Amino acid sequence: MITPLPPGIQLEKVDDRIMTLNVGPQHPGSGHMRLIIKVDGDYIVSCDPDPGYVHRGEEKMAEYRNYIQNIPHLERPVIHDSCNILYPYCLAVEDLLGLEVPERAKYIRVIASELNRCVYTLYWLAIYGIFLGHSTMFMWPVGDREFCIDLLEAMSGARVTHAYFVPGGVRNDLPANFEERCLRQIDYFEKRLKQYEDIFYQNPVLKQRTEGTGVLSRMDAIRLGTTGSVLRSAGVDFDVRKKEPYDVYDNLDFQTQVLKEGDSYARSRVPYLDMLESCRIIKDALKKMPKSGSVRTKLKPNPKGGNDEVYRRVESGRGSLGMYVVSDGKPEPYRVKISVGSFRNLICMPYLLKGEKLGNMPAVYWSLNYWPVEADR
Amino acid sequence: MQKELISSHATNVFLGKLGDVLIKAIDKPLGYALNWGRLWSLWPVHIETACCSVEFGAASGPRYDVERFGIIEAFGSLRQCDLVVVQGTITRKMAPRLRMVYDQMPDPKYVIAMGACAITGGLYFDSYNVLPGIDGVIPVDVYVPGCPPRPETLIQGCMLLQEKIKRMKVR
Repeated sequence: MITPLPPGIQLEKVDDRIMTLNVGPQHPGSGHMRLIIKVDGDYIVSCDPDPGYVHRGEEKMAEYRNYIQNIPHLERPVIHDSCNILYPYCLAVEDLLGLEVPERAKYIRVIASELNRCVYTLYWLAIYGIFLGHSTMFMWPVGDREFCIDLLEAMSGARVTHAYFVPGGVRNDLPANFEERCLRQIDYFEKRLKQYEDIFYQNPVLKQRTEGTGVLSRMDAIRLGTTGSVLRSAGVDFDVRKKEPYDVYDNLDFQTQVLKEGDSYARSRVPYLDMLESCRIIKDALKKMPKSGSVRTKLKPNPKGGNDEVYRRVESGRGSLGMYVVSDGKPEPYRVKISVGSFRNLICMPYLLKGEKLGNMPAVYWSLNYWPVEADR
Repeated sequence: MQKELISSHATNVFLGKLGDVLIKAIDKPLGYALNWGRLWSLWPVHIETACCSVEFGAASGPRYDVERFGIIEAFGSLRQCDLVVVQGTITRKMAPRLRMVYDQMPDPKYVIAMGACAITGGLYFDSYNVLPGIDGVIPVDVYVPGCPPRPETLIQGCMLLQEKIKRMKVR
C-alpha cells in the first residue's frame, strides 16, 4: 500500500534530463529550510528556496504583550545573537517613550553587542567549516565560542538567551573584575583568530572550492537589496555602525571591512575580519567606559507610548537589522515589524546558484550568512 | 506407542517446550547484549527545527562533547539513525515533515523532546502557527526542559534515555 503524501508535497513530472532534488528540511546541507533544486547532470539549472518552517508569528505575538514582556520572545529568532536583535527594539522603544540611557549603559551595550557578534560569527563559521567537510573548523570555533559565552554569562546570567538589553539601559551592572577578564579573553581570542587564518582561510582546498563560486557583482548586490557581509564582500562600503551611528559607535575607533571579489571566499572572509574589528571595538570601549554610574533608567510600570512610529536599525551579525514599532497610546505596541538581514540575503540565492555545480551548493548557501530561524521570524 | 511418540503433534510440543527453555536461557543475556549495543550508538537525525539547534551544536563541540556517550551527530542518511532530537518549536508546516522523518527511520527508534517549545509550545503557547508540544505527532521518550536547555541538561537527557534503553524489553 502506498501511503499518501502529506499535503503540501507534490511529485513533479520529471524531464528527461532535468532532475528535481529536495534539499531539506531534513538534510545535512540545509538548515531549517527546503531548497528545491533542479539539476542537469551536475549543474544547477534553477533553485527555489522554500523558507517558513520556523515561522512562529513573532510579530503578531508582539501585539498583545507590553513593551517589557516583548523582550524575551523577540530575542528568540537569533538566540546566539540575542543582544543585537534586541538592540533596535530597545532603541525604538526608548525613542517612543522618551527615555534617556545612562552613558555607562551605552558602553556596556556596545561591549555586549560586539561580544555577541563574535559568538554568532563563530557559530556560523563552525557550520561553514562542517558544510565544507573541514571538521577542525567546526571544533575550533565552537570551542572558542564558549569563552565569549562565559563572558556574556557573567554579564547577564544566561548562556545564550541573555535578555540583557532593556528599554532604558541594561538589566544589571557588570560583575566585579569584568574588565580584566574581558581584556585577557580578547587578547587570547585575537591570537586564536590569527591561527584560523592559517588553517582555514589559506587552505588550498577551501580556496579551490570557494574562490570564483557564486559571484555577486556590485550592482547586483545593490539591486537585490543584500546587506551586511554579503554587501560588503561585493565592494560596497555600507555598515550601519558607520553610516547611522547609534549609542556610542561614533566615539569608537574601528574600520569597515570591504572586499571586492564578491565570491563565496570573500563572503566567508568579511565576517572573520569583522570579528577582528569587534575585538578592537571592545578594547576601545573598555578604555573609554565611565568606571561607575547608573546603568538603567527606571521605567514606570506599564509604560505607554504616544501616537507615534519609530524605525531604528543596527548592524547585526547578518547585516542591518531594523525594528519598526508603531504605538497607538496603549501599553502594547500596535505593530512591531522586524526587518532582518537573513531574509534579504536569501533573495540572491537563486541568482547565485544558477549554473553552479551541485557540490558547491553548501559553500554558496552558507556563505550568505543566513540564519533560517531569523528569516522566518 | 512409538508411532505416537514421533507424531507431528508430539514433536511440536517437544520443540515448543525446548524453545521456551532456550528463550528463557538466552533471552536475558541476548536482550542485554542488544540493548548494550543500541545504548552506545545513538545517532541523532540531522533535523533542526528551531533555535535549540544552537545548543545542540554546542553540545557536540569540544567543551561538552556528547560523543563521549556514543552520540554522534551523523551527517548521513536518516536510515542509519535511531534517535530524533526534536530541537525546539514545531510549526504547522514542519509537523508533517517530522512525522515523515520518524516514519522513514528503522526500528528501534527513540525521541528526545528538547526545549520548552517541543514539550508544551513554551514561549509560543499562544502563537497561531506553533504546535502545543510534539507528543501529538510522535511518541516521546525523554523530555529535556529549558529554553534553550544548557548542553549539560541535554547530556543528562541523553543519559536518562540510555538508562531507559537498558531496561527496555527486546521484541
